[in-house]
Amino acid sequence: MLEVKNASKIYGEGLARVVALDNVSLEVEIGNFIAVMGPSGSGKSTLLNIIGGLDQLSSGEVILDGNRIDGYDENALVEIRRGKIAYVFQQYHLMSSLTALENVLMPLIFAGDGKNEKDALDILKRVGLEKRANHKPCQLSGGEQQRVAIARTLVTSPSLILADEPTGNMDQKTGNEILELFKELNEEGRSIVMVTHSPDIAKHAKEIVNLQDGQIVDRTRHFHIEVPRQICRC
Amino acid sequence: MKLYKIVAKDMLRRKRRVLYAALGVVIGTMTVVGILTIASAGEAKIYKQLEQYGPNLTVIPAINNLDMKLGNLSMGTLTVGENYIPEDQLPKIRQIADSKIREALKITDEGDIATIAPKLFANTKVNGVSLVVVGVDPQQERIVKSWWEVGKGTYLDGTDQALVGAIAADLLKLNVGDTVPLNESSVKVTGILKETGASDDYQIFAPLATVQKAFNKEDVISSLDIRALCNACPVEMIADSINQNIPGVRAIAVKQIAQSEMGLVEKMNSLMFALAGITLMVGLFGVVNTMMSSVHERTKDIGIMRAVGASRKQIIKIFIFEAVVIGIIGGIAGYLLGTALAYLIGPLVFEGTAVYFVPQYFPVALIVSITVAVLAAVYPAIKAAEIRVADSFRSV
Repeated sequence: MLEVKNASKIYGEGLARVVALDNVSLEVEIGNFIAVMGPSGSGKSTLLNIIGGLDQLSSGEVILDGNRIDGYDENALVEIRRGKIAYVFQQYHLMSSLTALENVLMPLIFAGDGKNEKDALDILKRVGLEKRANHKPCQLSGGEQQRVAIARTLVTSPSLILADEPTGNMDQKTGNEILELFKELNEEGRSIVMVTHSPDIAKHAKEIVNLQDGQIVDRTRHFHIEVPRQICRC
Repeated sequence: MKLYKIVAKDMLRRKRRVLYAALGVVIGTMTVVGILTIASAGEAKIYKQLEQYGPNLTVIPAINNLDMKLGNLSMGTLTVGENYIPEDQLPKIRQIADSKIREALKITDEGDIATIAPKLFANTKVNGVSLVVVGVDPQQERIVKSWWEVGKGTYLDGTDQALVGAIAADLLKLNVGDTVPLNESSVKVTGILKETGASDDYQIFAPLATVQKAFNKEDVISSLDIRALCNACPVEMIADSINQNIPGVRAIAVKQIAQSEMGLVEKMNSLMFALAGITLMVGLFGVVNTMMSSVHERTKDIGIMRAVGASRKQIIKIFIFEAVVIGIIGGIAGYLLGTALAYLIGPLVFEGTAVYFVPQYFPVALIVSITVAVLAAVYPAIKAAEIRVADSFRSV
């Protein structure tokens, strides 16, 4: 469903020139769960940003469902963010002034589609937070905040979820709960690309991509993870 | 749930910040409303004063040597010659004056509008001193000379009575009850005027008919004063029309005082409006500033909104919506505070002037305030829309 071809990203010029991505090619198939690993500065976050159209490529192509999106303008990218690709961040990035429910509602409001509060509540229930719907982020634990953030991505039913160190700010137990949630979503047929530096977390994925100095040095498929039990439950 | 509802909720939770942003608009609007209210009170006061300056028009015989520049104030020192205005011209003059005022003010009701005070000047000798006797219509004269105060005795209320100017009474040792000879007949002093500082102080006033009869000048008058009783009255048009339609008279609009006073008001108003304009500009930049810092503060939030599907237009909409809310707050608060300010300092600016709140300035305040707030929001909103998701998170 998504393909990155010969992607390079260079920041700065002259002495300050940094090659964040160096001719990287990666394919994300429907239903895959890829963990992108690598030391900090290896370009993993840059790769994620480029996949999602948050950052521009210096050269190369990003193809989503057969369309090149690397040259898309802001308006076209907005359309992609409203239905196909959604993000989960390490810092959750919830609006601190809004309640959990309002945070989940936000993508619906911007997209202006027919869904309403009930749909948002259903999704909060899905991540086990229906009782916290009217709490603000500061009243929620890190794990709960990340669940709200995940609910916020789910509300537009994206086919691809991009997660940048989603468990980075959590203890192991909470982190594992979030990972279980990701696995469930993957089993429903959503593709997931998750950036992490921890092998323990990466091993939950179906495929591990290792980045070093902006290049893919290793790609491993973990076939011990069973084939999706069910596809598209929602 | 609509975008605006969420923005409104978000603003409610950031009350303090929003109010801080509104402050600039409030101060600007407050100044405008305050100045407008004080200016209107001042104008009303000056109009009221203007009314006390007496007639708007003086009508005199066409052929005589009166010094026009002095207007009616110098009449007392001049001896009127053989030329008079026939008294039967009075209704015609009144008709012209009233119809012009009706036209100008778009009023339709019948009845007299202008005050028309005829006068007949004559000379008489009292205790060997020569002085001017003025025959007047007591009621009309009183309206024209609203500053007259009777010091001793009473105002004219019957025939064969006289009202004596303060200095004349002093010089001639006249008192209430004394008799003043008028040719063959005489009149009794019924009252003595307080000093006015005008030529009135040297004159004796008696009912017109009495003076006409005593000097055999029945059916004629020397001059007449017209007071239009309104500030927007077309005195020059009335004068032109009288000059064109009534032969043998000359109508002069007494505008010098009015013009200089109004000129002063206008100058003061333009100065105040310039001040209000500057305050609004300062307020505007204040709001731009607060909004810009709000954009910086909310860079992350804007990035989040962009990441979850907000378009650039929607980000601009959010900021403009906030500006409208700030404008409404600023308009309401600015109107109330501006009116309060006018009540506070109005009496200091125009000594002892009563200030009244002007409801018509409320929509003015709202429009000014919303315009300023929205104008101030344009640049910050565009800046906010330019924020890129990746950058916004990098800075956090």
